[in-house]
Amino acid sequence: MIREIVYQLRVIWACARKDFRVALTDRLFTILGLFVPANVLILMSLFVLAGGKAPTAVVMQDRGPYAQAFYQAMSQAHSFSLQITSAAEAERLMSAGQVVAVVTIPPDFDTSLQQARPVQVGVEINNLNTDFTNDIRRAIPLSITSFYTNAFPYLVSVTTRETDLYPHDTDYIPYLAVSILVIALMMGGMLQASTASAREWENGTIKELLLSPASRLAIMLGKMLGALLVGLGSTVIVLTVLTLLLRVVPDHWLEVFGFTLLSLLIFNTLGTLLGTLVKQRMPVIALTMGISLPLFFVSGAFGPISFTTPLLQGIAKIFPVYYQIVVLQHAFHSFSLNTYGLAGNVLILAGYAAGLILLVTLVLQRNTVSH
Amino acid sequence: MSSQIVTTAIEIEHVVKRFGTFTAIDDLSLSVETGEIFGLLGPNGSGKTTTVNMVSGLSSPTRGEVRVMGYDLRTQTRQVRQILGTVHQETALYDELSAWRNLDFHADLFGLPGQQKKARIEKMLDLVQLSDRKDSRVSTFSGGMKRRLALARALLHDPQLIYLDEPTLGVDVQSRRALWDYILDLQKQGKTVFITTNYLEEAEALCSRIAILDHGRLVSLGPLTELKQKFGGSVVEIETGRPFQDLGGMRTMTGVKLVEQDGLLLKVTSQAGYQIVPQIINIVAQCCEIRNLTVREPNLDEVFLHLTGTALRD
Repeated sequence: MIREIVYQLRVIWACARKDFRVALTDRLFTILGLFVPANVLILMSLFVLAGGKAPTAVVMQDRGPYAQAFYQAMSQAHSFSLQITSAAEAERLMSAGQVVAVVTIPPDFDTSLQQARPVQVGVEINNLNTDFTNDIRRAIPLSITSFYTNAFPYLVSVTTRETDLYPHDTDYIPYLAVSILVIALMMGGMLQASTASAREWENGTIKELLLSPASRLAIMLGKMLGALLVGLGSTVIVLTVLTLLLRVVPDHWLEVFGFTLLSLLIFNTLGTLLGTLVKQRMPVIALTMGISLPLFFVSGAFGPISFTTPLLQGIAKIFPVYYQIVVLQHAFHSFSLNTYGLAGNVLILAGYAAGLILLVTLVLQRNTVSH
Repeated sequence: MSSQIVTTAIEIEHVVKRFGTFTAIDDLSLSVETGEIFGLLGPNGSGKTTTVNMVSGLSSPTRGEVRVMGYDLRTQTRQVRQILGTVHQETALYDELSAWRNLDFHADLFGLPGQQKKARIEKMLDLVQLSDRKDSRVSTFSGGMKRRLALARALLHDPQLIYLDEPTLGVDVQSRRALWDYILDLQKQGKTVFITTNYLEEAEALCSRIAILDHGRLVSLGPLTELKQKFGGSVVEIETGRPFQDLGGMRTMTGVKLVEQDGLLLKVTSQAGYQIVPQIINIVAQCCEIRNLTVREPNLDEVFLHLTGTALRD
């Protein structure tokens, strides 16, 4: 019995070591496996950064204290990327498409307010993109309200009293970064494992594995361990980009390591399954990309799925990606995005991992060569 | 496997293999004795590889039974894999790894004890004369070197039964001879060798018995000499001074099976052995000058053509 266990462990390690070595010699796939996840992370972050704040020119024709306070209110609205310019420069920027809006604070801003006369703040909008246009349309009235609350507190009788669920706010990028980490793990893990499996079929080396007396489970576990070793490389790169470049520092490092490994295991198993079924590298690469993106969007990448429709919630809960986002949001930001508790989510993920490993083993067991 | 001595290495009984509606193997029965080199011949698509995949446990028969060294392939697949060494057409080597690492991986898969592993790999590399290239990547090897390495790998775990699928396909003449010598040595060591080949010369040089498959059916089985006898007695080849005219008359002769003429070369295949040869010479000599005369046994090409109605490489 012990001899048998030692033998199967040896097979697992031999398969892992072999796949690791083969992956390292295949430079194209190594680069793909290592840098695609980091690339996705950077691209998605750029996408978020680009879409975050509307570039806006402010023409300050009045420099009085009320005008300054209004500018402050705008700058704290989290919707504008402000720059103070002259009227001529603002027009030039608008014509060149470099700003979405020009806000003009009129020369009589302070005087009019002191004399309780109405003031009109000029807002010129480039309505080419409704996303930005609506941001401006929402943010300007909010800035006015905010300005009034601060400048004339005795005039504003209705204010808000905010109670926060969490002790600190989380910006959009740190929130999204966790989902991006999951998609990076998904792409890296699935690409590595699926191509490693498909390569065996493409090159005919699967016969060497299938004709050995080793158990299919040991072979599969070995292949997944190999993919995991390569995947760890890309994970380290992604985590480095997250923490050093994007300054997203986790609350619980141990959870990050544990859940990252669990996620990699699941994605490696999915990749192995895909590679074993499709048996060709190019189609599995296309499939991996094709599967990853919709799963990313449906699984609560941009916000908790409980804020979406019941149908979307139901779909998201079918896939492990949703639970991975939940546990990693806890690891990074201590968030609880569903009611299953951390242990419940981890158990569900462990169930996915065990089920998938069993499925891959069965598929390989039933797999025979052509002819 | 029982403790008694096994004399039959492979037993195939009424095996049928279907892929959907296509029947690849149709009621095949044959047995291979231990210690023999057995050849499975057939044109492309005749069912050779399907047969071998079933013998090696890579696919299961739709119907019928396959036993290897007494083990039932359906229930004792692992035991069969432990005693089987295979060299596939495509060699199934990891091109990205060195020769040594390919063998090292195989040794781990087959559970070779650590202390034996190194010595055994060295011995096998020596055997196939690749010791000096042990650290080279397999992708840098020629076709012949890859075949030799695949053979070394198949023998690494000291199997009792070795299956070679087209062992010299794409190999130069010199390497082919060397591989044949290795295979003949295996027989001397008491191993059973099961070969599929399209090279008749190879089958003639190596195999003690041959099975011919066509469209998934066993067309003929037996020692080569027996097959030749079954096919007929002799082939008479006569080179004449001018083309022989009376082909029709020759064909009506008792014992004459086939008459072919290619320019000045007349080929008469007879079933009647050598007794008919003087008569043939007499008839030809009456109308033509005989420049050259050869009387020989039919070769395997001719046997094959006769049995399957198609050339082996069709």
